[in-house]
Amino acid sequence: MVRQEHACILLRNFIRRTARNRQEAEENVALVGIDVGGTFTDLFYSTDGINADRICKVPSTPHDPSDGLVNALVTAEVPKNDLELILHGTTIATNALIERQGARTALVTTKGFRDVLELGRRDRPHFYGLTGLQDPLIPRDRRFEVTERLNHTGEVLVDLDEVEVRRVGEAIKEEDVEAVVISLLHSYANPEHEQRIAAILAEIGPDWEIVTSSSVIREYYEFERTSTAAVQAYLQPLITRYSHNLLSRLKDWGFERQTLVMQSNGGLVPAPQLPSRAAHVVRSGPAAGVTAAARIAAEAGFDRAITGDMGGTSFDVAVVIDGEPEISPSTNLDFRVPLRLSMINVHTIGAGGGSIAWVDRGGILQVGPKSAKARPGPVCFGHGGTEPTVTDANLVLSRINAEDPIGLTNLKRLDVEGARAAMKRLGDKIGLGIEDTAEAILAVVNQNMAGRTRLLSIERGYDPRDFALVIFGGAGPLHGAAIVREVGIKTMLVPPSPGVLCAMGCVVADLRYDISRTVARATASLDAGELAQMLDEQEQEGAEKIRSQSVSVKSIATRHFAEMAYVGQIHTLRVPIEHGWDAERISQAFEEAYRHEYGNTLGDIPSTVVSLRTVVEGVREHKQRDLPVPKEIPAPEPVATRQVHFGRWHDTAIHDRATLEPGMIVQGPAIIEQADTTTVIEPNMTARVDAYGNLLVELV
Amino acid sequence: MDPVTLAVVRGALEQIADEMDLHLIHAAISPIISETNDCAHGIFDAETGETIAQGRFGLPVFLANMQFTVQNLIEHVRGHGGFQPGDTWILNDPYRCGTHLQDVVLIAPHFVDGELFALLASTGHWMDIGGSVPGGWAPQAQDIHTEGMLIPPVKLYDGGKLNEGLVAMFTTNVRLPSQIEGDLFAMANVFTVGRRGLDALINRYGRETLSACVREMIDRSETQMRSYIEEIPDGTYHYEDFLDNDGIEDKPIKVKLALTVDGSSMHFDFTGSDPAAKGPLNLARSTTQSTCFIALKHIFADVPVNGGAFRPTTFTIPDGSIISAAYPSPVSGYLEPIGRVFDVVIGALAQAIPERTPAPAFGTVGVVTVGGRQPETGSYFVAVFPYPGGYGGHFRGDGLVNGTPPVSMANFMSIEMSEHRYPLQFDEFAIREDSGGAGKYRGGCGTQYRFRARSECVVSALGDRMDHVPFGIAGGKGAAPSRVRLELGGKDVALPMRSKFEKQKLLKEDTLSAASPGGGGFGNPLERDTDAIERDLNLGYISPKSARETYGAVVTETALKSGRKRYKVDRAATDALRARSEQLARAS
Repeated sequence: MVRQEHACILLRNFIRRTARNRQEAEENVALVGIDVGGTFTDLFYSTDGINADRICKVPSTPHDPSDGLVNALVTAEVPKNDLELILHGTTIATNALIERQGARTALVTTKGFRDVLELGRRDRPHFYGLTGLQDPLIPRDRRFEVTERLNHTGEVLVDLDEVEVRRVGEAIKEEDVEAVVISLLHSYANPEHEQRIAAILAEIGPDWEIVTSSSVIREYYEFERTSTAAVQAYLQPLITRYSHNLLSRLKDWGFERQTLVMQSNGGLVPAPQLPSRAAHVVRSGPAAGVTAAARIAAEAGFDRAITGDMGGTSFDVAVVIDGEPEISPSTNLDFRVPLRLSMINVHTIGAGGGSIAWVDRGGILQVGPKSAKARPGPVCFGHGGTEPTVTDANLVLSRINAEDPIGLTNLKRLDVEGARAAMKRLGDKIGLGIEDTAEAILAVVNQNMAGRTRLLSIERGYDPRDFALVIFGGAGPLHGAAIVREVGIKTMLVPPSPGVLCAMGCVVADLRYDISRTVARATASLDAGELAQMLDEQEQEGAEKIRSQSVSVKSIATRHFAEMAYVGQIHTLRVPIEHGWDAERISQAFEEAYRHEYGNTLGDIPSTVVSLRTVVEGVREHKQRDLPVPKEIPAPEPVATRQVHFGRWHDTAIHDRATLEPGMIVQGPAIIEQADTTTVIEPNMTARVDAYGNLLVELV
Repeated sequence: MDPVTLAVVRGALEQIADEMDLHLIHAAISPIISETNDCAHGIFDAETGETIAQGRFGLPVFLANMQFTVQNLIEHVRGHGGFQPGDTWILNDPYRCGTHLQDVVLIAPHFVDGELFALLASTGHWMDIGGSVPGGWAPQAQDIHTEGMLIPPVKLYDGGKLNEGLVAMFTTNVRLPSQIEGDLFAMANVFTVGRRGLDALINRYGRETLSACVREMIDRSETQMRSYIEEIPDGTYHYEDFLDNDGIEDKPIKVKLALTVDGSSMHFDFTGSDPAAKGPLNLARSTTQSTCFIALKHIFADVPVNGGAFRPTTFTIPDGSIISAAYPSPVSGYLEPIGRVFDVVIGALAQAIPERTPAPAFGTVGVVTVGGRQPETGSYFVAVFPYPGGYGGHFRGDGLVNGTPPVSMANFMSIEMSEHRYPLQFDEFAIREDSGGAGKYRGGCGTQYRFRARSECVVSALGDRMDHVPFGIAGGKGAAPSRVRLELGGKDVALPMRSKFEKQKLLKEDTLSAASPGGGGFGNPLERDTDAIERDLNLGYISPKSARETYGAVVTETALKSGRKRYKVDRAATDALRARSEQLARAS
């Protein structure tokens, strides 16, 4: 999906400087995190790697994203001399893919299988409805076949016909391509044919970017692997140009030290390595947000967190256990465009500030997934929107301030009357008054979000009451209180800068490489030495990637996992394992994991190890904060009081977030306003500012 | 009824059903459940059996069929002591459950404060059910007993106590005992998820309010369904279509529909459909009904899945016909008559609302089953390959390539994974050129695949649509027929029923090739845009011959240096040619 965050709760271009002890700051390394989203480019500048010295938000520049990026640096007046690192998240890859703006690419496959990329695995775009088409990244007239065949163990059944490969190379030349993907059946078991073809084609087309499927993933499932390699090749020329352009723009601005880029797995990669990791950055932004949320939650003392990012069109939710975001082995980028790479498992539902409320033909109120988007936007923006949205409901209930619209550069006040009129039109259909209609809209959208949140935790065998909800995004803190109430979560955590959390995520992340290979053998058949050797190889490959860069890391951390299943099962479980374990110990770990996930085991059925996965992280120097719990102090005088609707109109204190200091307690109902968001504290809830400046909101 | 509570309760009930689906999909052993979602879950009214909510991840084929199964069981249990706490019933009797023996249904009552509140149901496809053919698709079966083990409604758990004898009966009579046992208990565990969800709702809203919400929401769905039917012009629309044969007797079998729309009600009258087939192509009445709903749901996708949506429809399905299967008719090929029932509904609706109705999809599931023993271990394997095929063209565009049957969401197996699991080697899996029905909007292409045996095994096929192809609508043309070939010892084998054969022995290097139809075309092919024809030619979706003869295009071709061809369609010349042929057609 194209990220269109904050389409409704837009932020003004703003800069915030945080007054902190300069002396302390000077001992540290200054860093900048920049998240380039579809609408805004967010910047987070820190002189100690964790506390915000400046944050800023400027419009993105889709024609050349580095414009917006440099503009953010200039706007925030980031002192370039002390700056050690620029850390960067980007939506460029996702957008290029969704809009099909990637490279003209050819595909070479085993004879008989060039259509695999287009056929997929037999499906349709929508569960119900028989229309819709796929748009393959590489069309059929640029897909070629060569004679060769391997079996599933990697044994050569038919030799590679190199004469034919050269003929195909000449034919590809006629197609004027920038990139070529080579994806042969069973190449994960033996990459030699792919590598040989790559070598021959490199002679014929020295300018082509050539990608072999086995170099992108060493796992079976031909369609998913071919698609993943196609995504990499399709993006590689674009990302290469982007990376060169970015580095040269930064040089012009005056920065020549290290630039790191956020990957979908929540880890960083040095910008010069970016071209070969193009397919790894498609979920860069959301991964950065979850990474920051995980770090903040861990620091605040919550080892289990659910992170929720609510913007204008969608609500992204993810689970964090022991400080680690949950990783998913694959995702679908578009219809029949699967990407089989490790990435932070972010679930998205169509619930945002711009989600439209409507009454279905049975007379039942529904909210979303249709969104008013940035244009026309909610009714209260006055850009011609007529259908009531979640933002209009928040306005009608006075949860957001009509006189001080967050983020609308060209609007002095929100159109309350327009929003009320729209609410009345909707309410008349279901027999509710204006405020009750607005409350009903929030009840429905909050339930949609709470439902997704519950599904994530309970269905994974966790009790949601053990989690904290870290809520962010422009609209998140307006709804977080209701979500924790619905799900039964004890604490909602609102970070200090919820509107630029993705930029902060870049700053706190580490370098990371996920390396895996298909094993597909009975667990019992694996001996300990063989396992150790496979894990060693993966560990070395990752460590080599980290060492080959000039990025300074404090240490290298390695973790191993086995993707396992009972014989016959398709869905695998990721089981943490250790180097040196034998088959018996691994089987035991699998059974424990299975019992945790499904509540029981399947008894005597043997297990298989489908693949082995190694995560190698280059851990950067991070400032460790371990602050004592602050003394309770009373909240400052509210900056204002207004009537806000929570079931009925309440006199409600309005606070400025900038005036809240560690230890302060705010009783609900209250509204806390800040430049990038508005936080709602419901009646019967209390907010406390912790030592790190987070708001912790709990039911009384 | 408080509109907020109603909206929230409906969302919560649908979520419980979704959670049940996901639980089984993740826990099942059989790939057919875990990879192709061949399962369904729902919550049902304990008195009427009406659907309260059904999961959105299970297969469409179970859409209304679950409700009929539950209603049949309620009837049975009434005479057998009623539902008791801790009971779980199991059955697969297809005349009660509507599909085939492989689909096993578990149903459990949910009690609140000692009172029966609702029924929970789980359907899952078992990879083997005993019977004459591994996997259960028995193309030459002439009675149900040949197809496998028939499970009448019996208690798997009686007051919470597992009937271990029953489990032993199952595991002893199937070819894949440990898979089946794993799936059985995974299904039984699903009810924990359903109960937990319902209890949470009852704690929050109370039994009375929840029951009132359920009644109200079913009524509202009825209103919603009626509002769509009202948009279809009143009238009676007729359509008939044929199955090639039943695998035993080589004669076509008719499915005939008169669809009457009267205000907000619909009547499906299948009078005139042929009598029960000798072979396994019989369809139980409840699935005939369910298929009609699936067709409607594909056209009106917003209608919620609960009992209310089914109320505005009535049916006449003659007893003893191919679409009201009764004991002892074999049913394992039921997916083929489903295709025909689906397509006659489409054929009838296309006359009433052509702007909303797509031309038929490939229309045959063409299941190929391979069974035998693993050369290394000697243990049984069963591999199932259902056809992928093209979807029909429609009012706004071309049909999809390689779709899954409309009543299914099942995927095709991965080639590499299949070669890991089974002693088979694939030679090809490709788009089948020129197989989509021609039209202003072209049907999507079908597919073709070929595999060879790496060791001795037996193969069976159960397909159709060789003699009676997916038709076009609004002037569109039919698609290419399906095709199955067996090459044994390098020689083509004659297949008397063409698309249906049972347990042919394959030796090492023998091959099976299958090719599926595309979808039907929509609208006159002579109105197809010339750029689209040129693109289709260069992508190889259609042949130059079709472009010239069927689409009336003036095509020029140039050879590139590599020998590959590039096609151009001359727009002006094509327009002139099309105008001339139109004149000729008018003159004659």
